[in-house]
Amino acid sequence: MEISQHNSENSGSKNEVDGSAKHLYGHIADIREAQQTLMSRLHFSVRKQIYLGNVLVFLFVLVIAVVLILNNEKVQTRLKFLEFVNEFSAEVQQARRYEKNYFLYGTNLSDAIENIHLARLIFTRELNTFAELQDQMTREGILNKIESYESLLGQLFQKQQQNVVELHKTGFSKGIETKLRKYGQDILASAESMMTVEKRALEKSLDQSRDFHIYSILVLLVILTMNAWLLVGRIYTTLSRFSTYAQRIASGDFRPILPKRKFRDEFTDLAVAINEMIKEIDTREAVLIQTHKMRAVGTLTSGVAHELNNPLNNIMLTAHMLLEDYQDLSDDERKDMLKDVTEETDRARKIIRNLLDFARESSSAMESVDLYQLLKETITLLENQIRLAGITVDIQFTDDLPRIHGDAQKLQQVFVNLLLNAMDASSKGGKIQVMGCLEEKADAVKVAVIDYGQGIPRHIVSSVFDPFFTTKPKGKGTGLGLSVSQGIVAKHGGSIKVTSKEGSGSSFNVILPVVTFPELHSFHL
Amino acid sequence: MSNQLEILLLDDELIVGKRLKPALEKIGCCVEVFQDPREAMKRIGEKEFDIVVTDIYMEEMDGMQVLEMVHDQWPRTKIIMITGYAMISLARDAMEQGAFDFIAKPFKPDDLRKVIAKAAEALGSPLDLNAPVN
Repeated sequence: MEISQHNSENSGSKNEVDGSAKHLYGHIADIREAQQTLMSRLHFSVRKQIYLGNVLVFLFVLVIAVVLILNNEKVQTRLKFLEFVNEFSAEVQQARRYEKNYFLYGTNLSDAIENIHLARLIFTRELNTFAELQDQMTREGILNKIESYESLLGQLFQKQQQNVVELHKTGFSKGIETKLRKYGQDILASAESMMTVEKRALEKSLDQSRDFHIYSILVLLVILTMNAWLLVGRIYTTLSRFSTYAQRIASGDFRPILPKRKFRDEFTDLAVAINEMIKEIDTREAVLIQTHKMRAVGTLTSGVAHELNNPLNNIMLTAHMLLEDYQDLSDDERKDMLKDVTEETDRARKIIRNLLDFARESSSAMESVDLYQLLKETITLLENQIRLAGITVDIQFTDDLPRIHGDAQKLQQVFVNLLLNAMDASSKGGKIQVMGCLEEKADAVKVAVIDYGQGIPRHIVSSVFDPFFTTKPKGKGTGLGLSVSQGIVAKHGGSIKVTSKEGSGSSFNVILPVVTFPELHSFHL
Repeated sequence: MSNQLEILLLDDELIVGKRLKPALEKIGCCVEVFQDPREAMKRIGEKEFDIVVTDIYMEEMDGMQVLEMVHDQWPRTKIIMITGYAMISLARDAMEQGAFDFIAKPFKPDDLRKVIAKAAEALGSPLDLNAPVN
């Protein structure tokens, strides 16, 4: 009892030194801070990302469409120009045929003039289209040549009007014929070369158009893939993280989800909701643990009441005898009696304080815990119960046990539960063994509470940790002891394992890691 | 002195014996006090007491066992059980098994004196509580 008092004082000063006592339950301050930080970040929702991705894809497709339409226009212009050049060159060829006829037979001169005139009209009419595709020099050169050709034909026509016989065979005509042939050939050659150039340009445009199609499809594919990848990545990784969190919460790890990302989204809302839920569950579990503890206190009270009667009886007898025999007693005898009274009062106080220490709703704090010390105190707490049940409890710990990091009050509750269960299972005169040793990997401590009672039937061994499962008679057990104990141990990152053989007893092994949940693996979003 | 009541008082609490011995001697009883049940049993084996007062709960031996053994060996002996507050049901069992009476802790010396006087009456040698022998 001295020990427990000393220890609690010690742990109190330790927390002050630390300044950052970690609590096992009620992370309310932590949660509030996490909630605020989570909500204060820049908002970038998944919905926004979906919209943004779609807008980007749409813009890209729009650009492709515009480029393709423009290219199409260009191809159309080139086709039109080719048509025009074709028309033009047909007229020129026709004019040249008539021109040949004229020089052979003296006929068709007016037809030739008409054709070349048409050709010139076509050329000047389509000058605008033409202007886009050919340079001015070429254009003017061709126009000059057409005009020269036309004027030469005009000269011939004027001569014909003067009724010159066999004009087409005269020297004048011959001179003009040579010039006409030259111009005609030049014009046709120009038209020809224009056509070739345009055909090539058209082919190029078509090739470009095809390449553009291929590339834009590829780029679109990349953009769509990236978009999907980013979106799926964001949703999938977050969801899988949440499922891990859910599992951990189910296993009793009630630390809040802490902010890690730089932005806030729908998942942040989820994280905030989960933190709220954690807060609720945590509070409820703390209440459940306290409620269950009060039941254990109730059980212990009967032992304490019995134990308390001894010092009370001693005080009463001594006081009455002192009163009765006051005159007849010597000073030394009176002093001896009063000393007995004070000593017995102190004994009574200690008996109560032990239970009150245990019953007190403590602000659970994580501290360095010596399990051997804790188990010894727990056995002292249960001493009356143990004596009443006529059971002996044997404690054996190996020397090399490291201290663990935990909540001494909550862990004591676990061992009280296990020991009370072991006592219920044992018959009068039975024996309970408490053994502590280091786990094989030296990263955890094992405390085994072993009884040699009736054991647990094989078919219910797996359900003993289920809430509300009890084998005790109605009104004696709530079926929450082991469930609550497991919850507490899980919070320390440990576990309770049970081995039992029907008829020869059970062993409940509490395994507690030397270090609790590493902070590295805490919840983040 | 032959009509003095022979009482054996067994309680593992030292103070109980220390205070009750003079208290009972004052009413003319001859009291032997024991803390260790085994020693008490040894003494009971040697001598027939008129009254045995025993605590029900003790580390070494159960008061019920003491009751049984005394009852077997000395049927005439009156056995008074001292019980804790919570142990009334056990006290009733003791009564069924032949205990004379029981007294619950905490009690006053007079409470025990009264029970002992009752037992003395039952034994046929009444005590006068109001005229203590010095």
